[in-house]
Amino acid sequence: MQKSPCFLRSRVVEKIMAFPTIISITEKELDLDALLASVTSSSDGAAAIFSGMVRGVTKRGDAHATLYLEYEAYTPMAEAKMRQVADEIRSRWPSVEGIAIVQRIGRLYPKTPTVLIVCTAAHRDTGVFEAARYGIDRLKEIVPVWKKEVSPNGEFWVEGEYLPKPGE
Amino acid sequence: MMIKIMFFATLRDYVGAKTVELEIPKDTTVAGLKETLVKKYPKMIPAQNSMMAAINREFAADEQVIPVDAEIAMFPPVSGG
Repeated sequence: MQKSPCFLRSRVVEKIMAFPTIISITEKELDLDALLASVTSSSDGAAAIFSGMVRGVTKRGDAHATLYLEYEAYTPMAEAKMRQVADEIRSRWPSVEGIAIVQRIGRLYPKTPTVLIVCTAAHRDTGVFEAARYGIDRLKEIVPVWKKEVSPNGEFWVEGEYLPKPGE
Repeated sequence: MMIKIMFFATLRDYVGAKTVELEIPKDTTVAGLKETLVKKYPKMIPAQNSMMAAINREFAADEQVIPVDAEIAMFPPVSGG
């Protein structure tokens, strides 16, 4: 029996639903190779990866040195908001397949990766770069994580500027 | 009614505790709770205008009434990444 187009379409939808989304707040060292492997599907040919790390020497703006950063999270809400960021990415860039958003917390020293955003897609010209950029920008707006900066001159909590709207 | 509030980052430092249990009148709004907290913990005054509340893990409006058995968290603007 020949398969109807409708049947084929539903198979395609199932496949899209199955693309991996990995969301995590962790105290463990970030493993980019393992994370990339776990969000990659056989239909992927491109991944855009953003990583942030602790900057030991800041030159822009108020120049200063950093000994370490102490990160903390309101974990259950943070993971829910990271999932929301992944959903927002998928609705803006339907071409994005796998998504990983991982934030490390605890005491982190200069040069240590603190966050990883991975978006995969079939091809590089499908919006994956913009999607990963959106992921980190949005994380910095709505995901409840904070960092305390410890410098040779003392310590202070870093505060963002974005005020999310109710229910955002 | 009794509520439990979690504090994070600067707000936890100002309050001096990770969580606080507090008796509030029924129908207290988020704005009302903020006022009560600032009176009780004057160290919070510098954060008065920037502090945010989350109710059941969603950002809450100042006019939102605090529901019974809600999970309440208060914190400054986020700075992850």
